[in-house]
Amino acid sequence: MKNKILKLGVLLLMVMFTQTSCDNGFAELNQDPTKASTINPNFQFTWTQLRTSGGRYENWRAGLIYSSMMIQHMAATCGYWTGDKYTFNGSYSSSLFDRAYTEQVKDIQDLVNTLETVEGSDQTMLGMAKIWRVVIFHRLTDLYGDIPYSEAGKGVLEGIDRPKYDSQESIYMDMLNELEAGIALLGNGGFGGADLIYAGDAEAWKRFGHSLMLRLAMRLSEADPSTAQSWASKAINGGLMASNADDAFIQHTNGPASINNNGFGEVLDKASGFGDDCPRLSATIVDWMTATGDPRLNVIGELPEDGSGVHNGMPNGLDEVTILENANGTTPQAFSRINPELVRVSSPMFFMTYAESELLVAEAAMRGWGGGDAADHYANGVRAAMHVYSHYDATFDIDDASIDDYLAANPFDSADGMRQIGWQYWAVTLLNEYEAYANYRRTGYPDLTPINYPGNISNGQIPVRLAYPGNAAGFDAFDAALSAQGMGNDPIGWMTVPVWWDK
Amino acid sequence: MKKLILLVVMGVLFTGTLMAQKTVSGTISSADGDPLIGVNILEKGTTNGTITDIDGNYSITVADDATLVMTYTGYEQTEIDVANASSFNFVMSEGTTLDEVVVTALGIERSEKSLPYSVTQLGGEQTAIAKEVNVGNALAGKIAGVNIQRPVSGIGGSTRIVIRGNSNINGNNQPLIVVDGVPINNQNLGSAGMWGGQDWGDGLSSINADDIESYSVLKGNTAGALYGYRADNGVILITTKKGSKRKGIGVEFNSNYQLETLINNYDWQQEYGHGNRGMAPIDQAESLANGLNSWGGALNGGNVLQFDGVSRPYSAVGDNLNRFYRTGSGFTNSLSFSGGGDHHNYRFSVTSLDANGINPNSGLNKKTLSTNTTGSYGKWRASISGSFIVDDTRNRPNLSDAPGNANYVVGVLPANINVLDLQGDPNKLGSNPDGTEMIMNGNVFITNPYWSEYQFEKNNERNRLYGNVAVGYEIIDGLLLQGKIGMDRFNERRRNLTPYGTGYSPFGQLSEGNRTVREINLETTLRYVKDISSTVGLDLMVGGNQQKNQDENLGAGGNNFNVPYLHAINNLSNQSISYGFSQYQVNSLFGQAQISLMDQLYVTATGRQDWFSQLTDPNGGDSENSVFYSSIGLAYDLAGANLNLPSWLDLGKLRASYATVGGATDPAQLTLNYGIFDQGHLGNPLGGISSGAVPPAGLVPSTNKELEIGADIRLFRGKANLDVAWYNRTTVDGILRANIDPTSGYGQKIVNVGEIANRGVEMLLDLAPVQKQNFSWNIGLNFSHNNNEVVSLLTPESDGEQIRLEEARTRNAFIHLVEGMPYSQVMGFVYLKDDNGNLILDDTGLPQADTLRAFGTGVHPTALGINNTLRFGDLSLSFLIDMKFGAKIYNSTNAYGYFYGLHQNTLEGRTSGLGEVAAGDIQDYYQRIGFGISEEHIQDADFAKLREVILAYNVPASVMDRLPIYRASLSFAARNLAVLWKKTDNIDPESTYTTGNGQGLEMFGVPITRSYGLNLNVKF
Repeated sequence: MKNKILKLGVLLLMVMFTQTSCDNGFAELNQDPTKASTINPNFQFTWTQLRTSGGRYENWRAGLIYSSMMIQHMAATCGYWTGDKYTFNGSYSSSLFDRAYTEQVKDIQDLVNTLETVEGSDQTMLGMAKIWRVVIFHRLTDLYGDIPYSEAGKGVLEGIDRPKYDSQESIYMDMLNELEAGIALLGNGGFGGADLIYAGDAEAWKRFGHSLMLRLAMRLSEADPSTAQSWASKAINGGLMASNADDAFIQHTNGPASINNNGFGEVLDKASGFGDDCPRLSATIVDWMTATGDPRLNVIGELPEDGSGVHNGMPNGLDEVTILENANGTTPQAFSRINPELVRVSSPMFFMTYAESELLVAEAAMRGWGGGDAADHYANGVRAAMHVYSHYDATFDIDDASIDDYLAANPFDSADGMRQIGWQYWAVTLLNEYEAYANYRRTGYPDLTPINYPGNISNGQIPVRLAYPGNAAGFDAFDAALSAQGMGNDPIGWMTVPVWWDK
Repeated sequence: MKKLILLVVMGVLFTGTLMAQKTVSGTISSADGDPLIGVNILEKGTTNGTITDIDGNYSITVADDATLVMTYTGYEQTEIDVANASSFNFVMSEGTTLDEVVVTALGIERSEKSLPYSVTQLGGEQTAIAKEVNVGNALAGKIAGVNIQRPVSGIGGSTRIVIRGNSNINGNNQPLIVVDGVPINNQNLGSAGMWGGQDWGDGLSSINADDIESYSVLKGNTAGALYGYRADNGVILITTKKGSKRKGIGVEFNSNYQLETLINNYDWQQEYGHGNRGMAPIDQAESLANGLNSWGGALNGGNVLQFDGVSRPYSAVGDNLNRFYRTGSGFTNSLSFSGGGDHHNYRFSVTSLDANGINPNSGLNKKTLSTNTTGSYGKWRASISGSFIVDDTRNRPNLSDAPGNANYVVGVLPANINVLDLQGDPNKLGSNPDGTEMIMNGNVFITNPYWSEYQFEKNNERNRLYGNVAVGYEIIDGLLLQGKIGMDRFNERRRNLTPYGTGYSPFGQLSEGNRTVREINLETTLRYVKDISSTVGLDLMVGGNQQKNQDENLGAGGNNFNVPYLHAINNLSNQSISYGFSQYQVNSLFGQAQISLMDQLYVTATGRQDWFSQLTDPNGGDSENSVFYSSIGLAYDLAGANLNLPSWLDLGKLRASYATVGGATDPAQLTLNYGIFDQGHLGNPLGGISSGAVPPAGLVPSTNKELEIGADIRLFRGKANLDVAWYNRTTVDGILRANIDPTSGYGQKIVNVGEIANRGVEMLLDLAPVQKQNFSWNIGLNFSHNNNEVVSLLTPESDGEQIRLEEARTRNAFIHLVEGMPYSQVMGFVYLKDDNGNLILDDTGLPQADTLRAFGTGVHPTALGINNTLRFGDLSLSFLIDMKFGAKIYNSTNAYGYFYGLHQNTLEGRTSGLGEVAAGDIQDYYQRIGFGISEEHIQDADFAKLREVILAYNVPASVMDRLPIYRASLSFAARNLAVLWKKTDNIDPESTYTTGNGQGLEMFGVPITRSYGLNLNVKF
């Protein structure tokens, strides 16, 4: 009998063992022990700034392979450097669009929302976040035209799965308002050292915000001159970047992870294991700098490997076959690379410089939109552009005497001022390729000679935008954007349709 | 619920009466006096049973007045009353019967005639003789309604098994795998995608075919209903071999050796060599730049400088595939010891597999130790079964995209380039004299194939232990309480090296991973089997299960080796670590009741309640975290009915059932999560949203409802057996990671959406046209057709109604789910045409793409397998023809064939141009089609293959008698011997590189192979 009771007891225990409760402890089990449910705004701002600087993926494709080639900062013979010859590669073209929304827009929208909705949030942080949001979006719309903006990045915040595409015009109007609103919020507080650009300096952010406002205003010079003029004046009156110390850039480091690296460095820094050796400086920039006696040539260029001892720019539009008949060099080794020290994984990544700001003021002055004397601002701009390279390495700085000589040899001529400003703007935006490409499309300067390579998609003209990802085709929001901009279904045709501000 | 169980336990405990026991023994033989081995003997109305040994002997302890039921395949079921004696010898007569015992859910053995659903049983020899490294692949074409897709992923790869069509939008669509009553993990450990990658194997790839006694495939919902949320894709029950009562120790030795050779499907043009715009390269630089462009001049035998500066004739070099790939091999040896007595039996086995893939330097080594031991001591039952497996796979081939993928380069080499010229340094294949990769074309991301195969490392080793321990106690006669603990735990150690000196990564990259996956199941059941009168029988079961899963992953990696070629993690200049952890738990209560009336009508009902941690709000809010599933089924045996059946109709069973089951989801996805990334920047921590998918507002488990109707009919005195099933399955509320527009900030959104319907028929027809003493001919035919429809996707309805599952590397073909169409639509861009169907060319004479269109499903809806077995005395020959119809495939190989100028179609216009396109620019025309117009490359994936041929010889007893061997057989087996027809060019229609849900894309996998082997089986 005892034995039986024992057995029964064991059996009952077995039953109870497996069925202690039906869902006890399940809530705890369903919490990811490696993740948090809220985040410190400082961490998120640093993260978003770094991701806006970007990774190898889009800096390589949209930045170097398309933008830098099309505007003839650089040239390449390799077939997959499609921007050199205006041939089509959909995924290269759409690469910034593909990455920016999930890597930049998502977190900046979340951060702005947090700072707007959580009571007692730091308003200076909010102002900086709003300005940074404009940095992200204006690059996107400049490259791609109409884009998701007002509803973008709100998959969680507002449950929007398929954001509508806003017209570039409406995006620009809103971005300008946002800049004004963001600047107005700047005061005490801020992100401090978590701000990788100005270490939390609100005054510097105000100047950056106004210079950015000027950039956006001038972008509208052809499409909507009166709006452009009024915002340009507002920006100039608000106080612009005042010296090279105001240059907006993020300092990258050698590691330890890819996120810490400069995206261009991750393509071109051979010392760090990145092996794309296709690009060389374009003949357009080398020849121009040579002709004008530009002291920057020795900073931006590395002498050709073939030992010729003189800088030699590669003409755009050559391939591995046609280079063989090229008079100035039949192998890539005959041409100057960009100075490897500018494209290290630890190099700074530039968003805007004092030089650009001054050149924009010069242009505004030329147009009679205020700002003072165009020649003075032009000179300031050129002078500042020569000093930009000190951010890479103090030894790269151009001394004032050389700058004086250069300015004396290449004096500002108001009759040719727009053209001069355009070339200088183009020169200082080397390695800020998205901006260089946008300003070129607006002003038509520098006056580049397009190449006409067999199989190009733009009939021998420099493409006027990058193509969207094809994978949104068939969805109403996207199809509506195509038709609103007069674009057909075939992505190959998209790059020849100008964006709204490009009149 | 807990209390309820206790009440049932106690209620049943005190109602039974104890009975006297005795042991009955004897011999069972056939009409011609041969002992019958393995006859199933069951004490009627109980679960108590045994089987006869090799001499036909049995011994069983039964109640004094018991009736024994003897069943044996191909013989009439026999019942004898043993009330008056303790020794029975008897003869079973051949005949037809429905009374085979089959293994059903939770490992419960039930008589086939009582089942209200279709179950397909398959003997273990079906996968043991004509071996595949992954046993799943060896089942292809053998079971109606079971679609098996073997990816072209090389050695140690995974398999995709889908039963009765895909029903989950993007969750798991593969069946639950259960070994000896306990679920095991069958997750895929990683497969290739559009950006390349390797197939890291799945759970089935570590199972040892030589230990498998039988498969029992539960196709429908009712069959799997007791598994509740785990049953929505069907269940495959694997029963491992056991020992049986015998004198001494039985020793079985099996040796299997196989060779594997590739089938070259490429039919590229052999008339033009490498080069550009109709010209052969004129120097090394040009040759290198156009290393893979077959747009050169006509092959004229002249000398041309190649990529390495060596001048070679400009003429076709012939078959590069056979130069590069090797003959693969597999050598499996297993040894088992088994035996048993009245109260226990045992089996221990050890198996070793050594295999080499056709990709040079790839291989696999697997060692398995298994046991299955059971005992029965008075009222106690105990069993332990399990396996310990170590498998070690070297150099899993890269697939799809070009970096590190040897299959890509070997596939697209121009006609005049000999792959052997890419070998470089003979002491370090694929390298330059300085030890770096020898690059043979202008794009560093297209890797030298020898460098890919010999210098890369893509290895993983898995140590896996799975098995279960069960203890049962027969409380009273017919009432058995059983507790079972099952575990499947594996540790995977992975190493993925891009070596120092690789073209696209000059200083190298390395990742090392260590992953531990564990599932534990605690199961208790109480089963009561009783004939309560001569006409009414009961079989009742209640139970509970607790399932706990954990997955922990610790990784380290980085890039840039400081010391060249020292490929150690501590030598990396940039190092990073990663850590992942997830866990979930599901608690369940379930029950099953079967009532039989007159041994003729059987009613079965089941119910199961599941509680999910994955659906429990982590913040403690209200959440629907529990679901009830149920089934009801009816089987009617015509044999017992007094119907005036025509004489040719021997027997029949009709069955009908309806069931709901479900599916669950991943843990920790109900809230938005923030992560801390990498190691900060300049001292500032980096933090942001880590969720890539929008978390759901509320989530319920998916529900899968199925009605199944079927019949099992035996005709013409056993010469024809027909089993048909019709089913209609609807899956609603699928838990979906819906791809949403990435401009929302998120790639995906987790939602309960959609409805997918699968309606279909399955038919099994066994014919035995000739059954003579020395010659017999059996035909087994299995047919299935599944009509799949994605009925609805997003709720509320939104535009597009499409969900993207996969994208091709060429980025212009996709796999979508489209409302109103079958699963896995192959999508491509069509040519822009005018109203008359003429191409609209652009200004330069090139064709243009129009809209994206659906071309058809990438999953074959229709399959037919025909197996013939011919037996001449001791010799038997069987061959299986496997046919599949109705699917499409995007032939990326052809897209690249157009791009590189290899496809035969690109010959047109090379000398005289095409329209406005000059001959020298003809590559622009074809390259536009290659990567621009996917319509051109979407093809029918229908095929018929000679899947398997086995020639077996059983050494006759007259020979054996003179040897110390009990039995021996020798078999020749071949798999995938021939493609009888196909409609694709340059690829095999079964060339998908992934086992994911998005089927219908192909790109540079391992060439398809055929295998031949010998199998020797000796029993002592």
